[in-house]
Amino acid sequence: MSNQQSSYLNKKGLTVKDLVSIGIFNALFFVFELIGSLPFAPNPALTFYQPLGIALLCGPVFLLMVAKVPKRGNIAICGIINGIIWFVFGMHWAMDLGYIVMGIVADLAAGMRGCKNTKWNIAAFALFCLGPAGVFLAYSVNPAAWAQIMLEKGTSQEYIDIMANSAPIGMLPVILLGTVVLAIVSGLIGRKLLKKQFEKAGITA
Amino acid sequence: MSSKKVRSGLWIDPRTKIVLLLLCVLTAAMAPSLFYEILLVCLVSVFGLSCGKIRYALIGMIVYMIFYFLTLATMQLHGSVQVMLVAFFGLVHKVYPCGFLSGIILTTTKTGEFLSAMNRSHISKKIVVPIAVMLRHMPTIREDWRFIKDAMKMRDVSPSLKNFLKYPGMTIECIYVPLMMAASKTADELTIASVTRGIENPKPRTSFIQVRFGISDLIVFLCFLAMFLAGQFCKGVFL
Repeated sequence: MSNQQSSYLNKKGLTVKDLVSIGIFNALFFVFELIGSLPFAPNPALTFYQPLGIALLCGPVFLLMVAKVPKRGNIAICGIINGIIWFVFGMHWAMDLGYIVMGIVADLAAGMRGCKNTKWNIAAFALFCLGPAGVFLAYSVNPAAWAQIMLEKGTSQEYIDIMANSAPIGMLPVILLGTVVLAIVSGLIGRKLLKKQFEKAGITA
Repeated sequence: MSSKKVRSGLWIDPRTKIVLLLLCVLTAAMAPSLFYEILLVCLVSVFGLSCGKIRYALIGMIVYMIFYFLTLATMQLHGSVQVMLVAFFGLVHKVYPCGFLSGIILTTTKTGEFLSAMNRSHISKKIVVPIAVMLRHMPTIREDWRFIKDAMKMRDVSPSLKNFLKYPGMTIECIYVPLMMAASKTADELTIASVTRGIENPKPRTSFIQVRFGISDLIVFLCFLAMFLAGQFCKGVFL
């Protein structure tokens, strides 16, 4: 068994096993994302905190995925798939682009320690969670153009107004910092779960 | 078309379906008015009917009509309640047609067809395999979740907020661990199954199901394209 595993780990590139695992964990990841963002997204006063919900719930799933597929490219693929799926559901393009870009950045961060170091993996998760905040980055760069795009998308003027009122420019660092903090909390919970349950069960590669 | 099984409704190439989805996202994103949105949902519904998803299409249409009338009702309200509700319905109207269409597409596309079509259009396996696996695994999660809830009841744990505040550690473990264990087991089993069927073969993949574009693809595509163009260039008609 140990022989097999080491030969599997030495194989370069992503094998079919990795791809299937990424797919399955992505499904779980997406479900938790939906649950995390449901209380936030439809509420104009809380829309800006949607990345926080995602960061809080998805940590354990993300860590287990990285632990199961400890190779370069895993997080990037996860980000690309997330971007595609959210685009299909009609979300703003900045969110989709954010997922893809931050997926690649997080991949580089986790890859620095070969995806083996849990601390770096948690850091990668925090970076990954900044992806959906791309919408708000796009907002703060140019609020006027933002409102126009959203109006074309069928969002009403009042919605933009309430969003503008509940999110002064100082809100951006709060959102980014909050996302990172919650992602780290979620990552720590995930680490605890991994140690207590999954490593003993021999699930991590 | 080339598949031997009898299908109810017409068969559409998966690549066409992806193009339709893109068109639908664009159309919904740039919809000029609410009335136009209804026409769009009607079009999607007709597409669902012609694909043989009669019940799904009708239910989707009725639910959308309910949303439409609720939206009209909220227009009569005033104050912050209206703003809240309008914001919510704005999101619904933006996402609903795309979600509706992707529901039809997901239930009418077989994984084999999807892989074959993606293979024909030379998209990297690294993206296609995870997406195919992910889409097929989603319904399984819901099924698993039902069993897990039953099992939790037996141990006097419930996934409610109250219980979460009382015993946070316990509840978190009871939700995450079984779901993740199940996912990881499924991943192993699926890998073995797909390796056995020769997914690692470096030669070009052949498929029993031959996907190709037909006249029905063209018609459906033209319908959606016409819808999109009408929304862009004849805005006055829909106001």
